[in-house]
Amino acid sequence: MMSADYPRSQMAIPVRHPLVHHVNKWVRAVPLYVMLLPTIAYFVIFTYYPLLHSIFISMQNFNLIGNRPYVGLHNYRHVLTDPTFWSSFENTLFLGISILLIGFVAPIIMALSLNEVLSSWLKRTVQMVIYLPHLFSWVVVGGLWIQLLAPDGGLVNAVLQVMGIAPVQFMSDPNLARWVIILVSVWKDVGFNTVIYLAAMVGINPALYESARVDGANRWHEMGYITIPSLARTMQVVGLLSIMGVLRLFDQIYVMRNAVIEPQVNVLMTYVYDMGFQEMNIGRATASALLILIFTLILTLFTQRLIRVDHS
Amino acid sequence: MRRKKQVGQAAFTTLNVVFLVLIAATMIIPLWNAVAESFSGSFASMRPGILMWPRDFSLSGYTTIWTVLDLWQPFENSVIVSVLGTLLHVLLSALAGYALAQSGMPGRRFVTGLILITMMIPFEAIMIPFYITMQQLGLLNSLAALILSGMVSGFSVLLMRNFFLSIPGDILESAKIDGAGHFRMFWQICMPLSKAGLATVGLFEFVGRWNNLLTTILLINDSTKNTLQVALNALISGGSSTSSGYLITTNVKMAGIIIAILPLIIAYPFAQKYFVRGIFLGANKE
Repeated sequence: MMSADYPRSQMAIPVRHPLVHHVNKWVRAVPLYVMLLPTIAYFVIFTYYPLLHSIFISMQNFNLIGNRPYVGLHNYRHVLTDPTFWSSFENTLFLGISILLIGFVAPIIMALSLNEVLSSWLKRTVQMVIYLPHLFSWVVVGGLWIQLLAPDGGLVNAVLQVMGIAPVQFMSDPNLARWVIILVSVWKDVGFNTVIYLAAMVGINPALYESARVDGANRWHEMGYITIPSLARTMQVVGLLSIMGVLRLFDQIYVMRNAVIEPQVNVLMTYVYDMGFQEMNIGRATASALLILIFTLILTLFTQRLIRVDHS
Repeated sequence: MRRKKQVGQAAFTTLNVVFLVLIAATMIIPLWNAVAESFSGSFASMRPGILMWPRDFSLSGYTTIWTVLDLWQPFENSVIVSVLGTLLHVLLSALAGYALAQSGMPGRRFVTGLILITMMIPFEAIMIPFYITMQQLGLLNSLAALILSGMVSGFSVLLMRNFFLSIPGDILESAKIDGAGHFRMFWQICMPLSKAGLATVGLFEFVGRWNNLLTTILLINDSTKNTLQVALNALISGGSSTSSGYLITTNVKMAGIIIAILPLIIAYPFAQKYFVRGIFLGANKE
């Protein structure tokens, strides 16, 4: 019986229509799509739908309750002629570029310095300690630094006083406050990026260092010709993540701003929030958010392109 | 010549260590200062001066937080949202990651693209239509809304997919021959083999949820549903008195900060290695 069946089933294969095969492939994938269903549903409902919806909202005089007349591009025109929008834009550039530059260099220096430490106990302890602030929320970090820098009772001013320096009003002088925000931001993330660089350093081929040493290279040569060039790819990843990060600047500003310094530290994302939830102008807030999103996408694509060109 | 080099070497090593210790001190001293202040007496904590040890040791900062300011409710809300949200997030990311790791799945490239694009859209940029979507679903002012937001993320799905891709193919093949379906392969073979990946995603998500501020200030407008971070922010930035006229001294504020970071500090030594690994696994998008 087996031998009688055998040739028939062998013949059936070429007869099978390619469409059947195609349908079967999808039928077999049904369990996989069941697994994907919650994820796809989440992104459709909470990312793509809001994104699409925001195009309509941005062209409406949108009231949370009541009528929502269409006003065309009026909201966009208003945002683009709003001096507050442009000052937030300028603040984002200033704070963002400063955080990017300092925040890019600092962890590289930290990682190179840690890499020279021979005692593994010291190395591990410093690594653990500098990573800590990255774990904390902006409410905690902002609160800590506002207290540390307070003119009355803050630790920093207490130390300055011992050194004979008059109390400094860090958080009520806009120019100082801007630098406080930049440096606290770097302070929070330096450990995180340092750990990334250190992990990348472990992957460098030790034979490179050995052959360099044979050729009489010193510490600085090794650093300049082996370590730093080997980190190029990691630097690109860290840089790209940081660019995305500064454009999303919100929590830190929301926590650390006060009425006196707001004009100098408000950024694009706080503009969107304030426009939407303090002034209750949903349409304009959405229009500005879309403008920022387009700007972000262009910048991200541009940077990615730049990195790819540079890489090949 | 050689001696000079050795002296230079020693000087460099010493300077290097001093530099690192100084940097580490900028991280430790603020924390230690906060601990010292949180255990100080109410008015002692407000007096200017360098405070590195509790002044008039007292637990009044902590007792005020729990009894007078009732931070217990927000703390409980934060625990509920963080724990349930993280469990859900890990499960959904793993399910989606498993599906996307199956090379034979039709439409795989399209779905992967759909998920990758979401990674380019910052949440902040869609916060207003997101709020409106939640309003349309009638979920505003509920903990369910907080659990639901960020239920899954492109980063976590990719990380889990990359983790599943690294499972040796022959293990899966033999299970397939035994007649295991996808759900059984996922639950009985892939999940137990991916504990490190699950821990990584879970830790990132837990820390992110515990620290989250924006989602709560957007969606919650009812103080009984507030999370710890929002309550703490109100406490810290609310000046030195609440609406009820109660004076909030520095020791109370710092006690709040210590309470908010304690769960993270406890988990940190166990979690340290996963944080680095996660970044590298998630960065591979090919």
